[in-house]
Amino acid sequence: MIRSDNRLADLPMTPVECLRCHATVRVRKSSWQQTSIQWDEAGARACLERRTALGRGELRAADFPTCAGLRESIDRAVVSGRMPVAEG
Amino acid sequence: MTMTTGSEVRAIEAAAAPKRFARGWHCLGLADRFRDGKPHPVRAFGQKLVVFQSGDGRLNVLDAYCRHMGGDLSQGTVKGDEIACPFHDWRWGGDGRCKQIPYARRVPLRARTAAWPTLDQDGMLFVWNDPEGNPPREQETPPRIEGALDDGWTDWIWYETTVESNVREVIDNVADMAHFFYVHFNFPTYFKNIFEGHVAAQHMNGKAREDTRPHVEGTPRYLGNTSVAAYYGPSFMTDELTYKYEDMDIRTTLINCHYPIDESSFVLQYGIIVRKQAGLDEEAAMEVATTQAEYVKRGFEQDVEIWKNKARIDNPLLCEEDGPVYQLRRWYEQFYVDVADIRPEMVERFEYELDTTKPNEIWQKQVEENLAAQAAAADRAPVA
Repeated sequence: MIRSDNRLADLPMTPVECLRCHATVRVRKSSWQQTSIQWDEAGARACLERRTALGRGELRAADFPTCAGLRESIDRAVVSGRMPVAEG
Repeated sequence: MTMTTGSEVRAIEAAAAPKRFARGWHCLGLADRFRDGKPHPVRAFGQKLVVFQSGDGRLNVLDAYCRHMGGDLSQGTVKGDEIACPFHDWRWGGDGRCKQIPYARRVPLRARTAAWPTLDQDGMLFVWNDPEGNPPREQETPPRIEGALDDGWTDWIWYETTVESNVREVIDNVADMAHFFYVHFNFPTYFKNIFEGHVAAQHMNGKAREDTRPHVEGTPRYLGNTSVAAYYGPSFMTDELTYKYEDMDIRTTLINCHYPIDESSFVLQYGIIVRKQAGLDEEAAMEVATTQAEYVKRGFEQDVEIWKNKARIDNPLLCEEDGPVYQLRRWYEQFYVDVADIRPEMVERFEYELDTTKPNEIWQKQVEENLAAQAAAADRAPVA
């Protein structure tokens, strides 16, 4: 049985909705630069950028970078205070 | 003086390593090694296997023990398309069926042994291990390696070593940024993991460390490297590794792969190819490959030194500057359960970008201190 990450006890993940495609993912940030993103299947299906990038068949799923729309949505959530950051 | 006891102390918890072996493709080594017309014994997955090339050129993998009276087929002889047992000359085909018993009128019913699906690709031999006995999963076919068996690249330089640890220790490295500085004397400046499906990727950039790999006067200055590495399944990692020098970039592909001998030991293998280019002819590229392979070899020796002394730990205590060790292990778990029991969270996409600000600040200071100490020691050293 895999245990849960001890760091989640201090700060759990927060749902963030992408402003572009409305995919919802769970996000955790320990600092402005650090970001953890947990996708589920519905979110991955909803992401337009992902579909376009992987649809061409040249990119492997694990090489697809964080989509720009989601990155921006997370940044905005942090700036607006909806998304907590472990340390300021 | 007070003793810390009871609830103040964090206990290391660890269940025994699984008895089951991971489902997936495992590389047994360079395919050419097995093409000498002789049977080869391989201890893997808690068993003994025999690898042989049949007359039709195919590489086959069978359970090493003959179903007749238990003779060791790896001590036998290849005869045509079959492996002949040294005990009574029973002939076994690569499909696991007994084809012939020279001294008998007919082969008994159900004369079938365990045959392992094989894949001969890019100069490497793979076997599919599956505790459920299913055929290989199509989406998990190992990726083609750019440059393998290509004239524009060097041949494989390949090493193999046996490690007396459970294989999970090597997997953990995928998410472990800080050990690259402390164990391998690298200097990671960027680090990101992406786990999705059966792939676990690690994107890492690093810069040169003058204290551990000083620049040699008259040679091009090494600046750093970029690395895109990914495990495809439980045991086969490719790493597109570019070394950046002031005058050129050198592109290499590194393979890191392993197969379990049993639950407490595994065979670790690594191979490297280097792209030839302007300013890097055949001989020079081969020299780079040999040199880099030596670094990789030393790197794994540094890991092994840690592994053989460390405790197995299921509840690592992580700080915010560590990578996603738990999520990596959750991904890895998919290969140890039946396909029907793979839970969504084992395969759903997970991204983790590390903040290297604090580690880099501390490491830079450490490098400068090391350099100052080296300079001071050089000043003190008597002139020969």
